[in-house]
Amino acid sequence: MSAGDVLVAFEDASVGYGSRAVVEHVSFSVRAGEFVGLVGPNAAGKSTLLRALTGSASVLAGSVSLGGSPLARLTPKERALLVGVVPQTPTAAFAFSARAFVEMGRNPHLGTMQSVSAEDRAVVEDVMRLTDTERLAAETIDTLSGGDLQRLTVAQALAQQPQVLLLDEATAHLDLNHALQVLDLVRRLADEGLAVLGVFHDLDLAARYSDRIAVVAAGRVREPVEPERALDAAVVSDVFDVRAVVRTDPVSGTVSVTPIVRGADVARTTRGPVGVVCGSGSGARVLRRLAQAGVGTSCGALSEGDIDQAVAVALGADLVTLPPFGEIDADAEERVRSAYSTTRACVVCDTPFGRANVANLRAAVRAGVPLVLVGEMTPERDYSGGEATALWAEAVCAGAERVSDEGAAIAALLGMLDGEGHDG
Amino acid sequence: MAADSRRSSRAVIAGLAFSLALAVVAGVMFGAVRVPFGDVLGALGRALTGTATGVGDAVIVDLRLPRVLLAALVGASLATAGVLYQALFRNALADPYILGVSSGAGLGATIMLVAGGSSLLGRVVGVPLGAFAGALLTITVVVRLASRTGRLEATSLLLAGVAVSYTLSAVTSFLMVVARESMQAVVFWMMGGLTGASWPYVWLLTGLLLVGLAVPMAFSRHLDLMLLGDERAGQLGLNVERFKIFALGCASLVVAGAVSVSGLIGFVGLMTPHMVRLVLGPDHRALLPASAIAGALVLVLSDLIARIVLAPVEIPVGIVTALAGGPFFVWLLVRKERVR
Repeated sequence: MSAGDVLVAFEDASVGYGSRAVVEHVSFSVRAGEFVGLVGPNAAGKSTLLRALTGSASVLAGSVSLGGSPLARLTPKERALLVGVVPQTPTAAFAFSARAFVEMGRNPHLGTMQSVSAEDRAVVEDVMRLTDTERLAAETIDTLSGGDLQRLTVAQALAQQPQVLLLDEATAHLDLNHALQVLDLVRRLADEGLAVLGVFHDLDLAARYSDRIAVVAAGRVREPVEPERALDAAVVSDVFDVRAVVRTDPVSGTVSVTPIVRGADVARTTRGPVGVVCGSGSGARVLRRLAQAGVGTSCGALSEGDIDQAVAVALGADLVTLPPFGEIDADAEERVRSAYSTTRACVVCDTPFGRANVANLRAAVRAGVPLVLVGEMTPERDYSGGEATALWAEAVCAGAERVSDEGAAIAALLGMLDGEGHDG
Repeated sequence: MAADSRRSSRAVIAGLAFSLALAVVAGVMFGAVRVPFGDVLGALGRALTGTATGVGDAVIVDLRLPRVLLAALVGASLATAGVLYQALFRNALADPYILGVSSGAGLGATIMLVAGGSSLLGRVVGVPLGAFAGALLTITVVVRLASRTGRLEATSLLLAGVAVSYTLSAVTSFLMVVARESMQAVVFWMMGGLTGASWPYVWLLTGLLLVGLAVPMAFSRHLDLMLLGDERAGQLGLNVERFKIFALGCASLVVAGAVSVSGLIGFVGLMTPHMVRLVLGPDHRALLPASAIAGALVLVLSDLIARIVLAPVEIPVGIVTALAGGPFFVWLLVRKERVR
């Protein structure tokens, strides 16, 4: 096996159970040294793809091959020499010792009546050390916690010394520390030449460990691509029906998905719109709450990379998008003012103002609509050389409603919209 | 650790074998007439050297000894079948009696008895063949019935077994009534009759048990894998479907042997493997031989009790095993509930 060999290949394959196809026209491959993640909603067929590789689901059309051989031509034993599986929920109904349990992974390497050799035992020791399960060796597995059992199952699969490892939500039962430990280990083995195909529910973990991610949804598998391309806000919204902020996590440097609200909980826009002056996350809660209440929003001008900008995009709010750290020029400000002037009311969230964003506040105050002001304008909040404080005073003089926090702001806004409804 | 547990397994097996030897001697000594220990040894010695003389020797060598040995072989067979069924179905409550396999074998045997009469050839070849066919057919039907939904649930397996068992027993009873002339032979055998013991049966059962125990022992690692579930066993390289057919064949073989000799004896196949597993753990390399020996021990002792409780009248050994096994089954159920 040289690095880069195709070890798993689906070619226009349909897989399922009996005669019922769960996923159709699947075409992708996993090479040696590559970690491919599968993500998608429940019952989309992610596990079915894995199960097709071990003969538990059927290949109904097209072809699936393992290590270059068509799946159908491999005996269970030959298959087990190529592929190890870490299933979702390991079973431990019987009182085997942990060591005996891991040793079962050597089965494909042994003849019918052959018992484990010193070499087999060395492999078992080795994988138990890698999975940090040595201290469990003498325990009986039916007394262990789900997490310990899961790591022993990883050890059992590694004891097969496979070229391909399939993970079916292998870390679902593990605490964060052990989940990272197992995935770090698998990642390292992938770097050493193992081909990994893993089903994930946790999108952040999928993005963190996968070289490529394939989205499985509606009976189809999308071509696996790099995590940042596979998981954007539009995909998360389409596939999972969740409005989310997708950005690069500054710590891990990989894509991170922060859900805002379930798509089903976003009401059809029936009221508003309401103007929101926000930035740096000060408006996220207000935007989310208004979307749930079916109130359209207009967010002024926000820079790419700003949290509120991502939230506004995910929720389909009206906004003027600036380049990262961009300033609001006269043209943008005029567009913002005109957008705010068509709203029923504007809320000024508890965000600091500097030269870059004070134009949003100016546009709101000059828009001529009722204002709701959150918090106080203190020197700690005004980096605009006094302009924000002046605008704030102007708004207060014009009769703006002042509230202490976002919750009160939302209540005030909804009250205004309802009041209008009654008047009309 | 592994070496330690293997050594302790060997000690348990040796202890069981020694107890079995004692039980066999006791089984030969006690009965309607008590035979002193010395006479037992003497008669055995004379029989082996071909110098047997008199009625006393005949009682020991031709009546008591084959009966005790047969009890041991039947017990070992049932326990072996129990181990196999419990592994294949991952169900500690599975045994040939509860799964209906014994009833199936019984019906097959009855058909052969009624059709073939009571010639020695018929009894030693025809009846076991009928029992084997009956056992295989029954387990196939029971598994099909229980896995209709695609999954083999523990409860539905037991329910299907009990339902099939009742049906087949009813058919057997019907046959007995219809074929009056062979009724006596059938009844005699059905009651759990170790009373018909003779040497040809001993050789027959020895042969069947050798195959039905030795072959699965060679595949003990595969039986271990089956305990992880069909899917996992397949992932670890076992050809699950083929192995199941093969192991069910072995189990049916030993059940057929036991049933064609002694009728329906319940609970030995359930209790024995379970007790042994509590002591030795689930590793089949130790569990299979230890259970076989323990099963032999249980049935030799049960037969001894059956013979001496109401002596000189004998009670069918099936009554003794059921009296012990029924409560044991309830205990298992309750314990399982509590674990949940």
